[in-house]
Amino acid sequence: MERWNKVYDDIVTVFYRSLWKKAWPLWAGALALAFANIFMFAYARALGVFPQMAMWGSWIYNLMDIKVDAPFTAVPLRPLHLDIHSMINFGIILGVAMASFISEEFKIRKEDWRGYAAALVGGIFMGFGTVIMIPCNVGGFYTAIMALSLSGPVTVLGLLPGAYLGGLFLKRQVTKAADAVDFSAAPIGKPAKKVRASLQPYIGVAIGILIAMVALMFFSMGKPKFTGLLLFGAFFGVIFQRSRLCFASAFREILISRNGTLMKWILLSIAIGTIGFAILKSQGYQPMHFVFPLGLHTVGGGFIFGIGMVIAGGCGVGILWRSAEGYVRAWIAVAAGMLSSGAWVLIYGNQVGRGWLYGKPFSLGEEFGWFWGTTLVFLFLASFYIFITWVEAKKNEKN
Amino acid sequence: MRKIKTFKISDKHYQVDMRGWVCPYPKYAVESLVKKLNDGNQMDLLVDCPSAPDDVPRVALAMGCSIPEVTQIGGGEWKIVIIK
Repeated sequence: MERWNKVYDDIVTVFYRSLWKKAWPLWAGALALAFANIFMFAYARALGVFPQMAMWGSWIYNLMDIKVDAPFTAVPLRPLHLDIHSMINFGIILGVAMASFISEEFKIRKEDWRGYAAALVGGIFMGFGTVIMIPCNVGGFYTAIMALSLSGPVTVLGLLPGAYLGGLFLKRQVTKAADAVDFSAAPIGKPAKKVRASLQPYIGVAIGILIAMVALMFFSMGKPKFTGLLLFGAFFGVIFQRSRLCFASAFREILISRNGTLMKWILLSIAIGTIGFAILKSQGYQPMHFVFPLGLHTVGGGFIFGIGMVIAGGCGVGILWRSAEGYVRAWIAVAAGMLSSGAWVLIYGNQVGRGWLYGKPFSLGEEFGWFWGTTLVFLFLASFYIFITWVEAKKNEKN
Repeated sequence: MRKIKTFKISDKHYQVDMRGWVCPYPKYAVESLVKKLNDGNQMDLLVDCPSAPDDVPRVALAMGCSIPEVTQIGGGEWKIVIIK
């Protein structure tokens, strides 16, 4: 019996405490993300979330009798439950909700109107940023570099200064409030009490069962790929929620706090992913997948997106994932992002990638061969790493 | 301007309630807050964004504070004890 108690303790320690009660180390999140992205690409497609959200926006306009096409040709307008790409987003939302409840981290996080106004402006910036830069931070930077699209590295020129500007705004806002704190004049109050154990883990398990049921439902409807992408999405959701791998923060902190730890792990993640993507693509498997048009719009759109993602409190995936953690700011940002990107065809008159605004897609693999293409990506990753370390070095000098 | 709610719990012991301030606000605020705190005083920082229990102690430790305790006090809420 004692032996079985030990087995029980061991399972609880590994599968409950270390997975759900403690945050995952960043490296674990970065590695899991890279491999999951390679596997999902091999299975169907790579990770990106904003084109689906943009389509949802267009879909809502059409429900209101405003005829508008979805901005991204890769995600055409159709009812959401019939859209295979949206399964990733639904999976992320459900996976994050499950993880957040199991780990007792869910809360409806309300703010005052200033936070909501920032979310609205940030969401609109992201909405326009995504259709101009193509597509979001995760798709256009993270996955695009892995996919050997030259547009991927170029987005940094826009995202980094944009995130810096957004970060300055956030920092100013809170520093003003913190400077106004006067400990000597603080009224007497009672310490916050610890609340008893909550029902959250049970709700989390129920969401897990719901994910399994929806997955089985699509499977029984003869749509196994819908099931697959939903489950991949849920896994991505768990990775993001547990490891706090936030791309907006990765860009923001490089220049604001001179701390590039998070971005450095993301660069390692990209390096691993690039090898996987290059192997698949070099064998003729979807060679132009996630290779996006490149031009001045990549930088300009990246700048707008960079500002937006920081003041909205997360990049495309970030706001999607935080919406499932109860952040009201993220709900507003998702709605604003959907409705602004969803109206793009009405505003611009054409779909993303077409017309005067956009350049042509450039694949490093197709142009220079897969070996040299991969080498160039690694050179970029190394240069970015050195740049970050150089920025960090100034902080150490000051101390 | 939005205010950060601050209470005095006892002599040299304060509670700063930053619940409702999403990330990265607590991390950015802690530098100013620690500067205002007198040496030897304790500040219990209440936060409700899941990154703060990791981020905030890192900033405070780099400023020479000690962090004797980080506890989850409810669903999605934490108390970070900072002593200057």
